[in-house]
Amino acid sequence: MNKKLFALLSVIMIASMALAACGGQKTEVPAATDEPTTAPTDAPTAEPTAPPTAEPTPIPDVPIATYDGTSLSVAECGNGYTGFIKSVVAQDANTVVFTLCKSDPAFLSKIAFSPFSIYPQEWIESTAGDETRTSEGLEHPVGTGPYMVSEWKRGESVTFTANPDYWGEAPAAETLVFRWSSESAARLLELQAGTIDGFDNPGPDDFATIQADSTLQLSLRPALNVFYIGMTNTFAPFDNVKVRQAIAQGIDRQRIVDTFYPVGSEVASHFTPCSIPNACDGDAWYDFDPAAAKALLAEAGFPDGFATKLYFRDVVRGYLPQVSSVAQDIQSQLKENLNIDAEIVVMESGAFIEESGAGRLDGLYLLGWGADYPHITNFLDYHFGQATQQFGAIPAAIYEPIALGATIADPAEAAPVYTEANNAIRELVPMIPIAHGGSAVAYRADVVNPQASPLTSESFFATDPGGRDVFVWMQNAEPISMFCADETDGESLRACEQVTEALYSYEINGTATHPALAESCTPNEDLTVWTCALRQGVTFHDGSTFDAADVVATFNMGLNIGSPFHVGNTNLWEYYDYLWGLMKKPGG
Amino acid sequence: MMIQYILRRILTSIPVLFGILLVTFALARLIPGDPCRAILGEKATDAVCDRFIREKGLDKPIMTQFGIYIGEIARGDFGNSIRYSLPVTRLLEERLPTTVELSFAALLIAMLVGIPLGVISAVKHNSWVDVVTMIWANTGVSMPVFWLGLMLAYVFSLLLKDTPFWLPPSGRVSPGIPDDPFFEVWKLTLPETGFVTTLCNFISRLNILNALLTGNWELLKDSIQHLILPAVALGTIPMALIARMARSSMLDVLGQDYIRTARAKGLKNGRVIVKHAFRNSLLPLVTVIGLSLGSLLGGAVLTETIFGLSGVGRILYDAITARDYGIVQAFTVVIAVFFVALNLLVDISYAYLDPRIRLD
Amino acid sequence: MDQENKLQTLDAEGLSLKSVSLWQVTWRRLFRRRSAVIGMVILGVMVLIALTAQWIAPYDPLKVLIGVEDVKRREPPCIHLLGCPADKPQHIAGIDGNVRDEFSRLLYGTRLSLMVGFSTVTFAIIIGTVLGALSGYFGGWIDNIIMRTMDVLLAFPSLLLAIAIVTVLGPGLINALLAIGIVSIPSYARVVRASVLSVREMDYVSATRALGGSNMQILFRRILPNALTPLIVQGTLGIATAILDAAALSFLGLGAQPPTPEWGSMLGSERNQVFTAPHLVFLPGFAIMLTVLAFNLLGDGLRDALDPRLAHVS
Repeated sequence: MNKKLFALLSVIMIASMALAACGGQKTEVPAATDEPTTAPTDAPTAEPTAPPTAEPTPIPDVPIATYDGTSLSVAECGNGYTGFIKSVVAQDANTVVFTLCKSDPAFLSKIAFSPFSIYPQEWIESTAGDETRTSEGLEHPVGTGPYMVSEWKRGESVTFTANPDYWGEAPAAETLVFRWSSESAARLLELQAGTIDGFDNPGPDDFATIQADSTLQLSLRPALNVFYIGMTNTFAPFDNVKVRQAIAQGIDRQRIVDTFYPVGSEVASHFTPCSIPNACDGDAWYDFDPAAAKALLAEAGFPDGFATKLYFRDVVRGYLPQVSSVAQDIQSQLKENLNIDAEIVVMESGAFIEESGAGRLDGLYLLGWGADYPHITNFLDYHFGQATQQFGAIPAAIYEPIALGATIADPAEAAPVYTEANNAIRELVPMIPIAHGGSAVAYRADVVNPQASPLTSESFFATDPGGRDVFVWMQNAEPISMFCADETDGESLRACEQVTEALYSYEINGTATHPALAESCTPNEDLTVWTCALRQGVTFHDGSTFDAADVVATFNMGLNIGSPFHVGNTNLWEYYDYLWGLMKKPGG
Repeated sequence: MMIQYILRRILTSIPVLFGILLVTFALARLIPGDPCRAILGEKATDAVCDRFIREKGLDKPIMTQFGIYIGEIARGDFGNSIRYSLPVTRLLEERLPTTVELSFAALLIAMLVGIPLGVISAVKHNSWVDVVTMIWANTGVSMPVFWLGLMLAYVFSLLLKDTPFWLPPSGRVSPGIPDDPFFEVWKLTLPETGFVTTLCNFISRLNILNALLTGNWELLKDSIQHLILPAVALGTIPMALIARMARSSMLDVLGQDYIRTARAKGLKNGRVIVKHAFRNSLLPLVTVIGLSLGSLLGGAVLTETIFGLSGVGRILYDAITARDYGIVQAFTVVIAVFFVALNLLVDISYAYLDPRIRLD
Repeated sequence: MDQENKLQTLDAEGLSLKSVSLWQVTWRRLFRRRSAVIGMVILGVMVLIALTAQWIAPYDPLKVLIGVEDVKRREPPCIHLLGCPADKPQHIAGIDGNVRDEFSRLLYGTRLSLMVGFSTVTFAIIIGTVLGALSGYFGGWIDNIIMRTMDVLLAFPSLLLAIAIVTVLGPGLINALLAIGIVSIPSYARVVRASVLSVREMDYVSATRALGGSNMQILFRRILPNALTPLIVQGTLGIATAILDAAALSFLGLGAQPPTPEWGSMLGSERNQVFTAPHLVFLPGFAIMLTVLAFNLLGDGLRDALDPRLAHVS
């Protein structure tokens, strides 16, 4: 018996080693050529050591910042450092100066973004764990905001209580509760039952139900996003501009918006939504014209259409609330209008983003973009900059004016440049913008000052739940953590925004910026030095006083990769990295 | 003899446990797509992802990762969730109570309804009660769990709105209902960490048990209201299975000689059924009940999705989609070990009751 | 059934055994069971629908009716006989989320569901039989390895394991079928192994061996036919489970992909409309239930009809 067992065990061991070896090849670790060729049977150790050459040792980035409590700076811009910020200095207790490496017309829009909220210096230091924030740091943020976290019952709810010492207008409800459910039908039912006061993202088909119900109200959220059909121009037949133009004219975009999008959505006239300055300079998109489209396609050499694929991921976003239905409709339109046979391929979300971003999808794909901050650079530069690969090779006619536009602060001055850029996009069709998807927030009818922020950052202190003490809010998902300096997920950010504040904030229900923890931030002439005068007499939830050192400490935590306090949840500091650039140089 | 048999059975489950670890690990790693973008979202750049992969130790050779994994499991450490940066044991402590409560409620409903139905239809064999019950039982096993859940929500949360039969469509408990854990109500001081604390936390999250312990009737009522629909949805298939099994084993027993003898002795019919027939038909029933407890976990994925409960099934499904290896590995292993233990118990109890098996 | 009747039945069976084959007996027993007959009738209708879907479906299941007819998205059923105005086009099961005829999609869905059931079970039976036969016939370490592997597979809740496998292989109907097939192999392997073990040492097998029959001959000619009965029962019930599991996977978006008219995915994609357009959730679910029910009834009936021990019970 024992003998048998031992034999079995060793067989499973060997099988496991074989399997593990296959896995190793999958991750493309170079094959170990210099591994001694001993029989595999004599090495069933629990922790096999990898041969030294098997893994290219990654060269870590080098920290370059110096921080002394009142100033955070790098020695020089450029020379390997690609970030925006040269220094953050506390000039006195109530003044902070940001010196930038290049002029930044979007500075205020960016600084108001909630990941850059200010934390007390002592808290930053005391909640820094070895590798990540301590669970205290991840779950009980300390800020200056109108609410404080009182309890986070994982999997169920987060409860906030009003901050009695709030510097601004006192919150209308004493207690705020966040709940979540991924099913819009369930969220609606909860509201109808009166167990919640408001919920995010009603299903597009429920808009009418809510509007017809006198006990409920609907706030439409302006569309600050875009849904487009992407193509990679390095694959045939999409390398032919006529094919791209044909598809652009052969899709009835109005029908898609009318059938599948909620009220408040619109057919995209340009890539960037028009509420953003300069977005809609230049000609509007093509009209739907199947005959012209068919002719163009014939001219391009495909009178009978062709076969291709239609890739998407089954993930609901504001810009694409009914993915699968829209995909099926586009598929049937392609067939009907252009005789193009598009086979639907649903991909896993991560793989889809990776493949499309690298320009490796050989067919059409459905993707979109939601604004991080309300500025045209957030739309155009990301998608049509020279380095972008997701549409194949971006023509110079498109990326040159975009690069120029990013250095001009005054929208009027930038208008001719963006006209050129938008017209080039229309002419060369790197993708087909379809819609700006509206969404909404539903509330009970007695809720006063209902909110639906275009940036999905509702601040509930300003919303009164009909005189009740508790305001219950239901969103799509649970926050991942509440340490939002190192978080990107919108559901997490919204929870943090009740608790922490940045130097500026976005106006309620809008995108304009207002002073928050700063009373003002004023630039020098070429927009490279921003001097912020801080609000005085503000205290954090832990009782400490807010001053300039807290601001510098916060940016040190976010930007300085050499700091012992540069630990968060994922430790990627994505928004710090993406909007400002971490203070580092490539090593080696 | 018996002890020898038990030892042998435990010994043979060791390779199975090892196989479970292996399969779990392999499946988790074979899932295509990288965890980086699944967790950080589409806007993560390549540089960010490279850093992420390094941070989480996912760039190490697979063999090394497996070694580390086995080593950690052996030490009782399930590692961290990639996504939440929290120890998986803590997530288990938070999510398990939801599923445990749901599964037990479902099983309870299944037994309370299934057994009497089965027994009655066996006793009233071939009557209309029997026919109706069996049609109903067959329909029960044929219903997709997700469909039944949606239909129940439609009827009880929408159609019966504004009636006393209304039931909430999602969640575990209404906000604002106090649910202080029993150890706080009893003014017990718990150590900061350790097994006792974990256990107490676990128990306090079983809302119904906690409500009973603290005499919190408001919480009890609210929790039960929230639990009814998901428990019925999840419990229907086991209920039908139990009813069928109860009926057929009852029929078997009723046909046996000693029952006829008992009846011939002049014992009252009811007494014969309860005292002799039912008790002897219990054995196969126990097996069905034990095994359906395990399969409830699979159904829990769907039930929890529909009723917005964040239990084990839901988090496991999310973790598979997000490629959160830590959670996938730990939760699957826990569930699988639970399965193996259950099977072991069933086998041992069989051997105990039927000595012939031990010789096999 | 009272005593007298039972005796008659036994008698009849005893007599007929002399003149007719086992199969004929089984058929007769099966037809005597009302529930099995109901199951067979439902199944017969389903198979008929599946075979004739393209002729009886009023619309192309993929045809989008925007601009073709005056219908709205997710419109409830319009049946002329039940008072729907005659000038409106008739849609017995309403309109779906993509403005297609739900009834035609339901009809075509029958084809897919039956295909799913039969193909996964066939796959699982073939693999399971080979593994079970090897395991039972040769015993020893082969038996140990195969059965321990089966134990490992059985240690996971089947739906969760199927979800994990589909995630590994990538979503899609074929992969979902494969996953469900893999997950259900162990039960067939166990059934076959058990019946192989029960006859391996019997005289007629030993006799064949003594006469110089090869292992293959013994296995296929003498041993496996014994496993046929439990396999048929297990397989019929297995089809029911397979259809349910495939629907669950599709419901979660891992199985059949749009625009394929598969019941589970039709239901899954409309699940948030359960309160606004209940017909789009109710009908596909009901269709699944009916099909699964038919297989369950038939499977139960077959088990009783094939099991002589149970024949007298009801």
